[in-house]
Amino acid sequence: MTELSEDRIAAYIATRLPDAREVAVDQLARISGGASRETYRLRLRYRDAAGEAVERRLILRRDPPASLIETERHIEFAAYRAFHGTAVPVPQMLWLEQDPAPLDYPFFIGEELVGFEASPTALLAEPYLSKREQLGRRKWTILGEISRADPQALGLTAVMDPVAPEACWRRELDYWEGVLDEDEVTPQPIIRAAIRWLRANPPPPAQKISVVHGDFRTGNFLYDAAGEIHGILDWEMAHLGDPLEDLGWGLNRIWCWGQDDLRGGLLPRDAAIAVWEAASGLKADPAALHWWELFNCVKGQGIWVSSAKAWADGETRDLIMIVSAWRMFNPQDRAALELMGQL
Amino acid sequence: MKPDPEAVLGHLAGLMLQTIAPQAQPAYLAGTIGMAGILLASLAQEWDRAADRLVEENRAIRDLFRQAEAVALDGPLAGELRALAGGEEEDLRVSTLEAANTGLRAALIALHAAVETQDDATSRALNAAIWAELSASTRRRTLANAPF
Repeated sequence: MTELSEDRIAAYIATRLPDAREVAVDQLARISGGASRETYRLRLRYRDAAGEAVERRLILRRDPPASLIETERHIEFAAYRAFHGTAVPVPQMLWLEQDPAPLDYPFFIGEELVGFEASPTALLAEPYLSKREQLGRRKWTILGEISRADPQALGLTAVMDPVAPEACWRRELDYWEGVLDEDEVTPQPIIRAAIRWLRANPPPPAQKISVVHGDFRTGNFLYDAAGEIHGILDWEMAHLGDPLEDLGWGLNRIWCWGQDDLRGGLLPRDAAIAVWEAASGLKADPAALHWWELFNCVKGQGIWVSSAKAWADGETRDLIMIVSAWRMFNPQDRAALELMGQL
Repeated sequence: MKPDPEAVLGHLAGLMLQTIAPQAQPAYLAGTIGMAGILLASLAQEWDRAADRLVEENRAIRDLFRQAEAVALDGPLAGELRALAGGEEEDLRVSTLEAANTGLRAALIALHAAVETQDDATSRALNAAIWAELSASTRRRTLANAPF
């Protein structure tokens, strides 16, 4: 991994702020911020054209040599920008740099939302424990807003691959089965059985084409002790597709952090679905949602398999890769078994 | 080995998670130490059970392959299953058991795909036995504090 320096970042930002003077960066620190990109926190200071001192807390997300998920940074950047200022809270994005020259790998920079919690396990104790229902309602309301949104009006059809309503399921299943074919380090008899079932029992066409966040789960949003959500993060797998894909991912049993039946550690399954339906104006047809929940077990195992392979091949030595593989393989299999009535 | 590796690994995990990580700076280093603690805790659990789990599972899958002799399968698959069914664990190193497990589970996928589409009573019984073994395989692998 190539180390960043405050001076190199300041030099880059100075090129993006031609009217600024005395551009300086300090307090650079890497943080845990998703396994697909290296995430850093920093403070930017400069004087604007009027000579006024400006200080901003920023986040820099840089492509790593290897990642849990192969993703397109310009799509992630575009998704943040599209939803900024809407009913879906996201941090403001500032600069996208595709050229690796300034900081060795492509990256983007956005504002830091300061002072909020992201950890799923923090929900297991006060002051957050008693706010779980409220947070759950906010979480699935926001997902409903994402599902309700018009991708074309947001400008996202210009950067995301189009897909027909009847083709959503096959495109996603083909992709994640391909990931398993390529990266599987041990045979996956449970997930392979799930794939056979999914192909034999396809869901109905999507009721609409929505923006799919792709990783909408507890752990990928910032919240506070009052039960409010301040930022939806980690849009690296965002794409156009069936809105039930996102709903199914968030309901996955692997996110039951309290070892109970609260989905995402927040709400019972039926309550979460009801909140999403009310906010989205869409219906979660039980059979269709079941398909997408099982599909998400395939997708999840694809992610954990890729993390195991990346570490085994020496592409990265980040411990999150092993933790993901060791801790999630088996719960993911159990989640699939439960959905197939075989647990 | 004495003291027991399981106890030593568990102690190291607790040390990292409860003592070292909370004092470490910057936050990313603390997170890395915390993950190392989680991995040690997982290793502690696997140390004692890994060989037993793999032997039990490999035997269970071979038993399924023996049951498959009563089912109509295509020639190459039937031959592969017959050959695998005759094996036995002699080398009990975990790496050897894992290698055998990989081969057995790969063949189990092929058997499952072949059996689940057949509608005779023998095939249905074998299909049910395969599902029961897959469910048992997840119980053998469950780690403490897993989300599910």
